[in-house]
Amino acid sequence: MSDKTYTAIIVDDEDLARAIVQEHLGAHPEIQVVASCANGFEAVKAAGEFKPDLLFLDIQMPKLTGFEVLELLDPQPTVVFITAYDQHALKAFEVHAVDYLLKPFNAERFEEALVRAKARCDQGSPSGPQPAELSDAARSDWPLDRLVVKDGTKVTLIPLAKLDYVQAQDDYVLLKTPEKSHLKQQTISSLETRLDPNRFLRIHRSFIIQLDRLNRLEQTPSESWVAVLADGTRLPVSKSGYARLKTVLEKGSV
Amino acid sequence: MGTYLLGWVPIGALLVFVALTQHWGLLEALVLAVPMCVGGAFLFLSSWYLCRALPLSSARFTSHWLAWIIAAVIMSTLWAWSALLLAWILGHTSFFPGLFSRAHAALPTLMGMGIILYLATLTLHYLLDAVERGKGAEAREAEFRILAQDAELRALRAQLNPHFLFNSLNSISALTTIDPAKARTMCILLSDFLRGSLRLGEKRLVSLAEEVELLKAYLSIEQIRFGSRLQVAWEIDPAAAGEEIPALLLQPLVENAIKHGIAGLTEGGVVRVAARREGHALEIRVENPVDEDTPVVHGLGLGLRQVRSRLQMRFGDRMKFEAGVVDGVHRVQMVFPAQNSEAKP
Repeated sequence: MSDKTYTAIIVDDEDLARAIVQEHLGAHPEIQVVASCANGFEAVKAAGEFKPDLLFLDIQMPKLTGFEVLELLDPQPTVVFITAYDQHALKAFEVHAVDYLLKPFNAERFEEALVRAKARCDQGSPSGPQPAELSDAARSDWPLDRLVVKDGTKVTLIPLAKLDYVQAQDDYVLLKTPEKSHLKQQTISSLETRLDPNRFLRIHRSFIIQLDRLNRLEQTPSESWVAVLADGTRLPVSKSGYARLKTVLEKGSV
Repeated sequence: MGTYLLGWVPIGALLVFVALTQHWGLLEALVLAVPMCVGGAFLFLSSWYLCRALPLSSARFTSHWLAWIIAAVIMSTLWAWSALLLAWILGHTSFFPGLFSRAHAALPTLMGMGIILYLATLTLHYLLDAVERGKGAEAREAEFRILAQDAELRALRAQLNPHFLFNSLNSISALTTIDPAKARTMCILLSDFLRGSLRLGEKRLVSLAEEVELLKAYLSIEQIRFGSRLQVAWEIDPAAAGEEIPALLLQPLVENAIKHGIAGLTEGGVVRVAARREGHALEIRVENPVDEDTPVVHGLGLGLRQVRSRLQMRFGDRMKFEAGVVDGVHRVQMVFPAQNSEAKP
């Protein structure tokens, strides 16, 4: 073994669960625990501050799930999930987790995970998936019920009921709520696939609206259509978007 | 009974008609037919005992036939000869001269009618009995269905939530080095809880106090896991503690309070369990704070639906069940008849 050191953050909402990881790491002076976090918000903040090599991450936590935490991290650390739930294993490997420990675990199993995690760190390859890819795979519990956004160090949860519309801006999407707009690094197409098509509709290459926000459709002098939302916002509707809208609205009115 | 007696009116009419064809006087016919009908009605009721003694379900028909015939002959003889006796008495009065000789001549006819009437009454009894049994069977089947469903739901409840178990074992695993005494305490609490939920799972009804004991063991374990994040407030009216409730009714509610309430809150909160007597009813409430950021789930989850349907099966519309979030607090409230105040069937 080299005398290389690794920084690590432990994230679990239970004190005792964090304590046991800490205890196992006690035998490894090469691992330096820089933070121990009791919820997802703390984890995102600490990871932004310390940029750790390793993340020991629980999945079911208050505020943010482990997957949502990962979605907000850039760069992606090497992740070992530690959870009592075995049904997330598949998802965990989709987001390139290096290992998946089931509670309770023994020292040998922990060592095994640690060896793998260190090997992954040593490769130094940016093996982590891109955020957009993460959000596609991470929470396959479709459709989404909320979105997570990070503005600087602040994490915001946006319940979908609050979302008026989504506007594409290159590799980002602008999420418009009555109070505020949020930028999120994700393409509009990948977001579209995760939304409930009965509630959200792509009316244009660059716009998705929440259907119950639609007030009326207006035709411009140049024969194209404009969607007017309840708050007065006017958004362009493409030809194919108009066709989709018509289908949905007719279905709804019957 | 009224319809049974009414059924004898046409029979009486028939007797009178037959007598008239034999050139009896109308009064003569009536004076004999009316007492015969009343007497017959009561005499032939005895076929009910025969019906009970020889149920059709036991398949020994040949001996049944014999018994039926013998009984019919005896009863009709008794009936016909009483009629003759009446005719003899009446014949001695000056009003009905010759009644006795006429009746004597009609004796074989009366005997024959008696046998037929007896057998008819017997058949009627068998029919009524079959209908009754059918109703009973239906009611029993309905009751069995309710029992089976309830047992199924209880079995589901008694099934341990595996994640609770894994998380608890993980806590014990951590405590073995940090605080061995506490690790032992937790092992014992976990055993108490497991044993308690097995025991309660076998019963249909338990006292509220017993159920509360189980909840206490469960919440003590969760308090070790969640530390200061979980506080528990008990508001159990001593007058309600002795009441019986369906076993493991509250356990899923408390599990939900942890899973969907405390576990989702960074700062945790108070789980409140309250129970009180309200006249002849028992009112139970379970409350827990919920995270406002978590989207509200519409409708009842599986656990709540099961609790409601158990109450519904048992109490029908004599129960009330409400669940919902108000001001960041999820509350389940139910009211149902107190069991001890009801006469037990």
